[in-house]
Amino acid sequence: MALNPFAPFSSYLRPYRLRIITGLSLLLVAQAITTILPLLLKDAIDTAQQAIQGSSLVKPLEQVEPTSEAAVESGIESGNERALRQVAILAGAIGVLSILQYFLNFGMRWSFTSLSRFVERDLRERFIHRLLLLPLSYFGGQRVGDLMTRATSDVEMVQRFLHHGFRMTLFGILTFVLSLVVMCVLDWHLALISLAPMPLLIMTTNRVHGAFHAGYRSIQEQFATLSARIQENLAGIRVVKAFARETLEIDEFRRENDEYVQRSKRMVVVRSLFYPFTGILNGVSLAVVLWLGGLRVIDGSLSLGAFVAFNTYLIRMSRPMYMLGRMVDEFQRAAASLARIERILQEPEEIRERDDREFRGEIEFCNVSVSFGDSKALEDVSFRVEAGKTVAVVGRVGSGKSTLAKLIPRLVVPSSGEILIDGSPIESLPLAGLRDAIGFVPQDGFLFSESLRSNIDLGADPSNGRAAPAAQSDPVDLASEVAQLSADLPDLPEGLETIVGERGVTLSGGQRQRTALARAVVRQPSILILDDSLASVDTHTEDAILQGLREVMATRTTIIIAHRLSSVRDADHILVLDDGRIAEQGTHQQLLDLAGIYADMHRRQSMVQELTEL
Amino acid sequence: MATPVPPDEATATGRIDLGLLRRLLSYLMPYAGWFALTLVFILISSLAREAGPYLTKIAVDDHMVPGRAEGLGWILAAFIGLLVVQFVLGYVQGWTTNMIGQWAMRDVRLQIFQHLQRLPLNYFDRTPVGRLMARNISDVDALNELYTDGIVSLFSESVTVLSILGFIFYMDVHLGLLTCICLPISFATTSWLQRRTYQAYREARTLFARFAASLQESISGIDVVQLYGCEARRADAMNDSSDRYLNARLRSSIYHCAYFPMMELSGGLLLALVLWSGTGRVLEQQMEWGVLVAMMQYVPRFFMPMRNIAERFNTLQIAMASSERIFEILDSEPEPTGHEAPETQLQGSIEFRDVWFAYEDDEWVLRDVSFRVEPGQSLALVGATGAGKSTVIGLLCRFYDAQQGAVLVDGVDVREWDVRDLRRRIGLVQQDVFLFAGSIGSNIALGLEDGPDPETRAAAIKDAAQHANADRFIDRLPRGYDEPVGERGASLSTGQRQLLSFARVLAAQPEILILDEATASVDTETETWIQEAVARLMKERTSVVIAHRLSTIRSADKILVLHRGQVREQGKHEQLLAEKGIYARLHGLQYASTEAET
Repeated sequence: MALNPFAPFSSYLRPYRLRIITGLSLLLVAQAITTILPLLLKDAIDTAQQAIQGSSLVKPLEQVEPTSEAAVESGIESGNERALRQVAILAGAIGVLSILQYFLNFGMRWSFTSLSRFVERDLRERFIHRLLLLPLSYFGGQRVGDLMTRATSDVEMVQRFLHHGFRMTLFGILTFVLSLVVMCVLDWHLALISLAPMPLLIMTTNRVHGAFHAGYRSIQEQFATLSARIQENLAGIRVVKAFARETLEIDEFRRENDEYVQRSKRMVVVRSLFYPFTGILNGVSLAVVLWLGGLRVIDGSLSLGAFVAFNTYLIRMSRPMYMLGRMVDEFQRAAASLARIERILQEPEEIRERDDREFRGEIEFCNVSVSFGDSKALEDVSFRVEAGKTVAVVGRVGSGKSTLAKLIPRLVVPSSGEILIDGSPIESLPLAGLRDAIGFVPQDGFLFSESLRSNIDLGADPSNGRAAPAAQSDPVDLASEVAQLSADLPDLPEGLETIVGERGVTLSGGQRQRTALARAVVRQPSILILDDSLASVDTHTEDAILQGLREVMATRTTIIIAHRLSSVRDADHILVLDDGRIAEQGTHQQLLDLAGIYADMHRRQSMVQELTEL
Repeated sequence: MATPVPPDEATATGRIDLGLLRRLLSYLMPYAGWFALTLVFILISSLAREAGPYLTKIAVDDHMVPGRAEGLGWILAAFIGLLVVQFVLGYVQGWTTNMIGQWAMRDVRLQIFQHLQRLPLNYFDRTPVGRLMARNISDVDALNELYTDGIVSLFSESVTVLSILGFIFYMDVHLGLLTCICLPISFATTSWLQRRTYQAYREARTLFARFAASLQESISGIDVVQLYGCEARRADAMNDSSDRYLNARLRSSIYHCAYFPMMELSGGLLLALVLWSGTGRVLEQQMEWGVLVAMMQYVPRFFMPMRNIAERFNTLQIAMASSERIFEILDSEPEPTGHEAPETQLQGSIEFRDVWFAYEDDEWVLRDVSFRVEPGQSLALVGATGAGKSTVIGLLCRFYDAQQGAVLVDGVDVREWDVRDLRRRIGLVQQDVFLFAGSIGSNIALGLEDGPDPETRAAAIKDAAQHANADRFIDRLPRGYDEPVGERGASLSTGQRQLLSFARVLAAQPEILILDEATASVDTETETWIQEAVARLMKERTSVVIAHRLSTIRSADKILVLHRGQVREQGKHEQLLAEKGIYARLHGLQYASTEAET
């Protein structure tokens, strides 16, 4: 543990200094009251005892003489009354202080809890901010689940430490020190002896929490194995049934299941030993006080009240002591989580700038190659598209069509070769500006859980100055028209305002793709890229869409990547990719005449079409 | 707009349902002996723990106040004796409690898994794997808490409260009554605050789930976000939901902050009352000093268990909601089966007699389909996507039952066969080859019965691989049959996976082979191996093939052309070509080019 356990967190805590100071002060006062309460108790008991002893000194209870009974009684009465009044005042003080302490505790907890929640929010905000500005290539190597964990469980772990660990550590230290001081003042001898088992307690808790951690991990691993088994079994249930393997699967599951119990058993032993052990250590302290303290009360060197106070302090001290081990553990986990979060925060962000240049939409690829790891996705691709023309790219699955499309908005970076837009190397163009000029429609038509309108009008954000002027006709309506989405709108509960996606209406694959298309069209891009984005749309609709696009895109550059050859027939130029290389190119008719890959694909597809229309 | 609440959160409000509780407790029945023993241990160790302050009372009254040192040693000895009892019983009780929970959970998990294996295939068609996994993980986890902690804690904390109360009453009835007055007030306030805390907490969790969904969306759609330059808008949306969550959390924290120090407040107030009233009684000599001293120890111990009881009720409620969902799985109807068992071997005849089938209502996928396959013969199913080819196979394996008509194997209705015996005699090669995590060898051994010694097994695996031409690529792998295959066998090519699945089916030596040929194109070498293997497989036994390769179709004894769920043509290749019907047309379109190549 570092010298200052809060050092890694300090930069996040700084804005909330005031809350920390408030919390600390409240904690201090509350702890002072906690420490005083047993002393009041002691006073009350000692006062009362003195009253009794005082009266019994005058007349021992057993030897009360009948004659003086009244006198003595009145003496006792007055002595007792005085004592009782004093005790009542002390008890009242205890009650009042308890109430006061309640409010102090409330305020103290509130300070730390709210502090931890604010830090949690801040961490998330920074995380989100950085995440969105990371280059896309970063996400290729990351699993969604992992990033999610960092923004959720890891942030929560930090929050828990700041809320709980922070408070409990301070609370523990204060309780320990204050109680120790008072106990030493009361009887330092007895204090030291009775506290002898404490270091042992601290040491074991620390060790045991380490063992807990390791144990939980091992159980967690087995649990993951078990889950993977179930997952696999369910995913392959058809095979399981086809091979009538149900019993064998159950046997295998049973083995893993038993192993889980076996691993848990080890943990259970540690746990079952630990809690009674902390109990016994505290019990030993109490036994010491009972014995030595008892002897001292008997010989008069310790008052009965002090004896009671001693017991109370000991009981109070035991909790923070065994919390300490847990705190160390919580701290370590929180620090590890924070480090995982900071790894993202420290990733260099991608600069996104824009200027007010207009793009004509001329594209040129010069000997472009792309490789991912060992495999080449594109090899030595060169072609040129003049502004305003339509180019189609076709080829088998995995031939590199999508990679080619992604190069233009710089979602993918070439490993060699050069790409020119309007004659300038693509790297020299401002990234945000370039992307603004491109309407890219990806394959899957990803929609956010928002209204259809805001899904189409994605780029329209007042803060980036591209908001459409509130002019004649709504550009979103126009775009929906072109994307053939308008016809579907009456069927949706609230038309363009319908919430779609996970928390809303589920759209069909075709509807999703058409929404994604409208999203691109609404930007009036200089370059429109359709990355196999009409695959789920039926042929008639596709024809209508292409027809509409031709009008809107008459002066703009269009790149169509398609599986269905019917959609590329009218392109100015067709590239046929095979294994990352350009295998054939030309117009539809030229390629048919060539009788190569394109012609073969064409024949197969007409067959499928004929069959479905049979 | 109505706020959508995730189903898990919505049902967690349920009250304690007695029937459900009884069913939950039934999982503890096998361990009833252990359970009873645990309760006894809890009782004893709780008494031993709470006897400590009482010993202090004796020490005070018999020794400290009168100033008599002799005999104090005995009290110390008794005190230490109680500590030892507490430790030993504490350990034993902790062990049994936790283990009973673990055992019960093991049984629940196993029962779910076993039941899942018995459910019909259409159950899995309806229920996404993700949802079943959630049941298996989070719902089972909630039960885990109930079994390992909830039930026993409820009992042990109650015993603690009662034994403290018992000691107090035993020492002094007056103070006992005083404590009893505090009890309901304190319990009511705590459980009220506790409930509010819990409600606010649930609300916050719902908002958190929404934040997480929004974040997940941003990550999944990061390319769209970046392409369309809407980073700022997404960030705003996420920060907005993060802020909402923060506010809900802060609201819930207020209850939380009010709730936790309640224990100390209750303790402090009761302490003041006891001190005042107790001292008075001591002064009036109606009570001894020791009682007051012991009370000072009992009071702070008194409120913790009450808080725990309130919290356990939560655990119980959450577990109730989870158990409902788990029992829903356990109560779904298992797959039907007959009891007819084949005598050692099937003859291998197949007959469809006027079969009608629909997955849903009236949407007939098969209409009046009839055909026969004689033992040892082969049948090729031909037709467009959606013609009903896969359904024929599903009915034959009795994955589904026909609504009308009958499917007969060896002249016996499949509904009368023991379904697992039947499937064991039918070898099914699916188009999407699912490989289990393990090695090549273990995946081939899928069709082998457990039992034979490792050597016979290894020989059987090799034999099958050889017969299916799979050995040709396996021998080239660095670790041969021990080569690991990952989830869904990502490291193998489609063609290799096909060959592997042939081998796996062959290893089981089925009398009937069903093959759903893969459509994906594979490299020419593998293609040759596959064609060779398929021809060999079909020769040796009754086979039904959904064919995509011309070579397969031509070598079949009979071709069945399905169109929109109906048998439109059947016969041999040449015969059907001559008919100039659907088959001839299909053949002309699809196979003209391949034929030229071969």
